[in-house]
Formats: sequence, structure tokens, C-alpha cells
Amino acid sequence: MKKRHEQKLILLSIGLIIAFSIPVSLLFNSEQEILGYPLLLVYLFAVWTASVIIAFVIVKRYE
Amino acid sequence: MNSFALFSVVMLYLALLFFVAYLAERKKSKLWINNPYIYALSLAVYCTAWTYYGSIGVAATSGLSYLTVYIGPIIVIPAWIYINTRIVRISRINKISSLADFISLRYGNSRSLSAIITLVCLFAIIPYIGLQIKAISETFHLVTETPVSKNILTDTATFVVVLIAVFASYYGTRYVDASEKRLGIVSAIALESFLKLFFIIVLGVFVIYFAFDGFSDIYNKASRFSDFKAKNTFNGLEGALNWMILCMISGTAICLLPRQFHTAIIENRQEKHIKTAIWFFPLYLLIFTLFIFPIAWAGRVIFNGQQVNPEFYSILIPQYFNNTAVTVLVFLGGLSSSISMIIISAITLSIMLSNNMIIPYGLLGKFKAENEANNTRTITRIRKFSIFGLIIMAFAFYKYFILKTSLDSVGLISFVIIAQLAPAYFGAIFWRRGSFKGVLTGLIAGLVICYFGLIIPQYYFSYNQEFKGILRNMYDAFGFFDIPYLGRIPEIFFWSLLINTGLFAGISVSTKGNYRERNFAELYVDIDKYIQNHENAFIWRGTAYVSDIRNILVRFLGQKKTEQAMRIFNLKYNIDSETETADSRFIKFSENLLAGRIGTASAKILIEGVTKEDKISLKEVLNILEESKENITLNKKLTEQSRELKKLSDDLTHANESLIIKDRQKDDFLDSVAHELRTPITAIRSAGEILADDDDIPLEIKKEFLNNIITESDRLSEIINDILYLDKLEHGEIALNLTRNNILETYKKALNPLLHLIQQKKIHISKVNLLNHSIFEYDEARMIQLFQNILGNALKFTDEQGTIQARFFHREQELVISIFNTGKRIPEEDLELIFNKFYQSKNQNLLKQAGSGLGLAICKKIIHNHGGEITAENSGPGVTFTLTLPVRP
Repeated sequence: MKKRHEQKLILLSIGLIIAFSIPVSLLFNSEQEILGYPLLLVYLFAVWTASVIIAFVIVKRYE
Repeated sequence: MNSFALFSVVMLYLALLFFVAYLAERKKSKLWINNPYIYALSLAVYCTAWTYYGSIGVAATSGLSYLTVYIGPIIVIPAWIYINTRIVRISRINKISSLADFISLRYGNSRSLSAIITLVCLFAIIPYIGLQIKAISETFHLVTETPVSKNILTDTATFVVVLIAVFASYYGTRYVDASEKRLGIVSAIALESFLKLFFIIVLGVFVIYFAFDGFSDIYNKASRFSDFKAKNTFNGLEGALNWMILCMISGTAICLLPRQFHTAIIENRQEKHIKTAIWFFPLYLLIFTLFIFPIAWAGRVIFNGQQVNPEFYSILIPQYFNNTAVTVLVFLGGLSSSISMIIISAITLSIMLSNNMIIPYGLLGKFKAENEANNTRTITRIRKFSIFGLIIMAFAFYKYFILKTSLDSVGLISFVIIAQLAPAYFGAIFWRRGSFKGVLTGLIAGLVICYFGLIIPQYYFSYNQEFKGILRNMYDAFGFFDIPYLGRIPEIFFWSLLINTGLFAGISVSTKGNYRERNFAELYVDIDKYIQNHENAFIWRGTAYVSDIRNILVRFLGQKKTEQAMRIFNLKYNIDSETETADSRFIKFSENLLAGRIGTASAKILIEGVTKEDKISLKEVLNILEESKENITLNKKLTEQSRELKKLSDDLTHANESLIIKDRQKDDFLDSVAHELRTPITAIRSAGEILADDDDIPLEIKKEFLNNIITESDRLSEIINDILYLDKLEHGEIALNLTRNNILETYKKALNPLLHLIQQKKIHISKVNLLNHSIFEYDEARMIQLFQNILGNALKFTDEQGTIQARFFHREQELVISIFNTGKRIPEEDLELIFNKFYQSKNQNLLKQAGSGLGLAICKKIIHNHGGEITAENSGPGVTFTLTLPVRP
């Protein structure tokens, strides 16, 4: 894997830090529900799923 | 369920693990063992009984914080592509076999530091192992509905633990070299990881679809609890802050826990396996955690108001519905997660205990006097007993200390203690300046804070409930540092790491480093540069003799392996086997050979015993390293340059060759043109002579001669025209007259004058049209000429009653016309050359009759001027010429 593509994964890590950090994650901290589920829970799992997909795509494409 | 029946199930399950381990050990090279998913699954040793039971308890009692244990890792994991790849490289070339080796080698290969790290790991992990045993024991009694027995000897859980200890000490010590890969154990762990995930999915489906009416049913019932909404949000800024710090704790733990280090680094067989783990492991954790939430809330709904431990909801729920099968499966899942954690932790701790404490501090003298067989036996025996001892110690710990405490709190305390190694660990691969003194001071300070902040309160409370006297006063004195909005664990994590990192950084920059330390610092930070010839990067000066070092090696490796290793070394560095003095490379090489068996620090001490090292200043070391680094880059540059030069000279040779060929072709062509020109001229001349000499020739014959003169002159002018025409084409003097025409019509026009000849030779001619439309833009006159040249050529070579077939079709943005004729094939090596204007086949018979050899060259020029391409190939019983023309929009 080229250095450039490795850096994409590092960027993903940084992105996750930001997504789970206080200012951002607190935006979703409400009792509101989305599709019947707590908003915060949906947000956390959505970010998680997205990170798996992004990592998969990066790894598979530049193998 | 009957106690005996469950015990038999456990026995069967353990037998399965033994079998898998045995199979994997035996078929090492097989594909199914050597695949990245086994590696990725073995990382799931992270999910222990804590995940299986503890997280559900946390989710039920304190809500979202159960997620922190998994969010932390998924943040860090993508960065493994950088962090773990390098650590794997460093560990591979230095034969590192544990976390303690890895950190202590970087800070000057210090025996004391490695011993301290070992102690830290022991303190952190033994209670954690105790926790797993607690989970096994309690769930065992829960499933069999028996009370926990006070007498250790009659408690069934004791036997389960002993069996696990036997398994771990048998398969964990197969190799005396601790840096070897343990395929058997890893495959068994991977299988367990798969099973525990599968079982929790079974439980999740059972809870959601059998115990309840789908997920929304649980959700609706749970949302009636007054605390439901609060549990699914952060408790304001304060809660979010605690949550984030807990994520940070688990993020460091996934890299630093000894069992994670072992599975991720030591047991890594190929660097590329890390890539698969980067997406697979977070996915695994995602599936695992998805089910925790519904199970926890289902438990709350079912056992509302009853006094049950929420940590065991996953067993209690199927039991409540009298479903023995699911209960046993969940029990087995919990057992798997506990067993894998116990085995890997015990193995890696036993390596640290033997290689970093017992051997360097107690047995080196003994080893020096013994032979290889005895030493190997002693080393494996130490490890076997350590594994066994550690598990029994953890068992005792569980029995006497943590009977009452929850899975979650003990686990998190372990995480915080292990996190104290983080500054040293990450500093090792990112910071050259980090020093031994800084690491040691920071680590000790951090540990002291953890001890007073976490361990004393945790275990003191389980006995005495309340501080009294001096202890009380001491804690009051530190009350100032209490952070009111942080929980105890995040608070201590914050303070201990702040002080730890601060001291590490501060002391490192304010003291002068040791040269050996700096040497390894360079090697660690710049591992990518040194990976190829890392022995060169080790700096050592002094006197050493190969025979002395060989004597040491023989005591550990045996005669045969030592000879073999030395042969490899001599071959690699091109050293004469008679050489008597050892250089720095040989010293590093020997240390590496020993490192896996007795640890890096002991290896260094042993080699030091038989060599005499001269003092070297830090400055010198830096200079040498700088030089060797420059050499490496210079080398790289030189290799690159020489590669470029080679390419250039290759190009020149090629050009030269083709020039020679062209020159020869030109000569040949001139010969052939001269010949071609001479033939008609000779004919004209002889006819003219006869006419001039003999006046009595009958009129008829005279006429025939004159006609001959006319045809031959025509042929002459045709050849000259061809040459001139080609010349003009080449110099672009003939402009294309591009108009829109019907290509089929054009082809027909070209074919018409030849029809007579075709009929004469009884050649079958056909046309296949696959075009949607047949109007294209081209120069019709040239195209006719081109078709006639190719068809004329084809006619010459087609035998009587042969076939000529033309096909018209589209390919992407091109019009393709292929003209096939049966007959003589073109020699393969000439396929490209036939379009050269000076070309005459080596096989003169073949193309001689083609005339001047200009026809195809003219075709090529015409088609090139149209922006197309022409190729020839032998296909089946003949030759196909393929023309492509770009379609102009």
C-alpha cells in the first residue's frame, strides 16, 4: 500500500476522534428519536458502520 | 441443568479446542490456517467475559458507557496501518517476544525497566484473569443452579480452571523461542472468537424474536422506565466528558494490553494481515455490541423489581424461559471468551516472567554452565510453571479479593494501570529523544497515583469499608485534586497520565541520553530505512571473538543450529568463515538469536560477558548513524541512477539495432528497386535492339514488341509513381479530402476492377456487415487505393478456389474492417515488418511477386493519416488484415 493510501486510514482515525469528541457528539445528545430509536445511539452506530465501510473500501481498493 | 452434564459439555468443548490446536500445529502451511481472518479473529481475544456479561450489566445500570470499551478501539484501529505495521517490523527484526521486551529494548535494553514493566503487567492482569475465572465459576453455578462451594477442592469450577491451565501450558510452550508463532493456540483462539460471536447472535435473536415480539417490542416496554431516556443520552457535558475519557482508556488498552500486543504483534505472520484486521475487527465489535443493548433492556423488563445481578442477564433470560439449549450456548460463549483471554494472557505473562525477570535476575549464571538440552528444558519448564502458577494465582485472587466486585470496575482498573505504559510505548516509535530516566520516573509516578487512587480504595473497601486514622488524613490532604465532575476512574486516568507523560517528556529533554538508547531510538523511529540491513544500524565498538560468542550460542541453540545460523550470517554479509574477530553486526545477530529464548536484556548481558566494549560517546553514535543513514540514501540514489543509465543504454542499443536493420532494409530496397527497374528496362532495351537491328521482322511481331515496350514503360512509371507517392504521403504533401461517404459503397468501388481477376481464379468472395450505419468521414480516393492494395495483395496469395472475406463492425469508438484471405501465412516475426516501406521478406519467394514492396507501406501511411491503425495476423488457414478508423463525431 502506498504512503498516500495509508494516510487515508490515519485520516479516518482522526475523523473518528472528531466524530466522537465532545463538541460534535454532544450535538446529538437529545431525547429526540430517529426512526423510533434514540438519536445519540443511532449517531454512534452510524459513525461506527461508516468507519467500517470506509476502511474496507480503502483497504480493498489499494491492496 | 445437572452439574455433571454441564461439566461433560465443558470437557467436550475443551477437547474440541485441543483438537483444533493440534490440527493447526500439524498443518502449518495450509491455506486455511495462514489466512488474514484467523489473525483478525484472534484479535477478538479483546472481548472477554467482561464483554459477554459485564457490558450487559453496564448497559442496564449505567447506560451508554458500555460503548466506551469498544469506541476507543475503533478510533485507534485505522491508525494501525502505520503504528502496528512498524511495531511488527521492529519486533520481527529484533526477535521481540513481549511488550516488556519491546519497550525496554528501545530504552537501552535495560534489564530493570523490563522487570518493572513485567511487574506492571502482572499487577494489572492477574486480577483481570481472576475476573474471568470468577465469570466461569459464577455462570457455572448459575446454569447448574448450585451454590458456589466454599471448599475449593469440591468446586467444579476449580477443575475447569486447572484444565485450562494445562491446555495453556502445553500449547503455549511448544517452542523455546518465544518469538515463534504459536499457530495451534492462535487457531483455537480464532475459533473461540467465532463461536462467542455466533452464540451471542443466537442469544440476541432468541431474546428479540422468542422472548419478545421483535426489537420494537423490547423498546416500547423499556421506554416506560423513567430512566430510559436518561440512559440513552449523555448525562450532559459532564457525562460526555467522562464518556470520552473512558474511550481514551480503552483506546490505549487495545494497543497495550499484553494479550493484544501478543496477538496483534508477536503472532502476526504477515504484515498485510493487519489490513484485513483494520476493517474486520471493528465490524466484529459492531456486531457484538449491537446485541448488548436489546439484551440489557430485555433483562430490565423481565426482572423488573427483582434482586438479580444484571451482569448475568444473558444467562438468566434464557433460563427464565426454560430454554436449556440457549442457556448452555451462552455459557459456552462466556466460557470461550474467558478461556481465550486466560490462555493468551497467561502465555504472554509467562514469557515476560521468564524472559524479563526470572532468567535475567536468577538463571544466567546457571545457563552459562549447562548444555543446550538442559537449558532448553529449563526455559520451557519455567514458562510452563509460570503459566500454571499465574492461573492458580489469579484463581486465588478471585477467591479472596474480588468475590464481590463487578466485572466492569476490575477490568477498567487493569486498563488504567496498563495505560501507564502508553507514554513509553508510543514515545518509542515516534520520539527519538525519549529517555530511560524519563520513562522510569514517569512510569513510577503514574503507578503510585494508580495505587493510591484506584487499587487501595477498590480492595481496601471490600474489607474495611472505610479509611481510618493516618490513611484518612492522607486522602484528605489530596482532596484538593479531586475533579468533581469526573468519575474516579477517568479522574485517576487523567492525573496519572498527565504526571506520567509530563515527567517522561520533561526529564527526557533535560538529561543527556545514553548512546545505546539513542542507537535503538534511531532504529525504532526510522525502522523503514533500516529494515533491510538492521544489523548495520547497531553500533558497537570493542574487541570480541567469534569463538567466544559461538560458545554461548551453542549452549542455547545447540551445535547444529549454531553452525547453520553462522553460515547464513556469513553468507548475508559476505564474511569469510575463518574470521576470528566479531564485529557489531555479529554481536547484534547473536543477541537476536538468543533474544527469543531468554529475552533481549539477558541476551545482551550474556554477550557482554564474553566481549569487551569500548566507550563510545553519544556524538560519535549519532555521527555514525547519520553516516550510515546517508549511505543508505546514497546507495538508494546510486541504484536508481544506475537503473536509469541502464535503461538509457538499453534504449540506445535498441535504437542502434533498429537503425542497422533499417539501413539494411534500405540497401535491400535499393537493390530490389534497381532490380525492379532493370527488369522492364532490359525488356524495353532488348525489344528496341531487335527492332533496330532487324528490318525484316513481320509486322505482327514488330507490333508485339512495341506493345511490350509500352507495357514495360507503364510498369516502370508505376513503380516510380509509387515511390514518389509514398514520399509525398510521408512528408504530408497530400492533403486528405475528408468527406462523408458510405464505406460499403467505397469497398464495392475498390472491388469492381478486380472482379474479373477474382472470377478467373475462382475465388469465393464474401462480405459481412455488422454496422448500424455505414456513413463515415474519410478520403474516398485514398480508401479505394488502400482496399485495392490489400485486396490485390490478398489475390496474389490466395490459391485457386480460396476465400476472401471482408467484415465491417464497430468497436467502441472505432470502425473496424477486417479482410481475411486463405493462403500462405506470414512468418510470425514478419507480421509487423511487412508494413515497413523498405521491407522485403527474408523469405524472398513469398513477397517477391508483391512488386516493389510499397503497397502495404502506402496502406499504412493512408490509414495513419486518417488517425487509424492497420495490423496483420495469421488466423486459421490464412491471413487477416485489420483496419481501424476512429469514428469522427
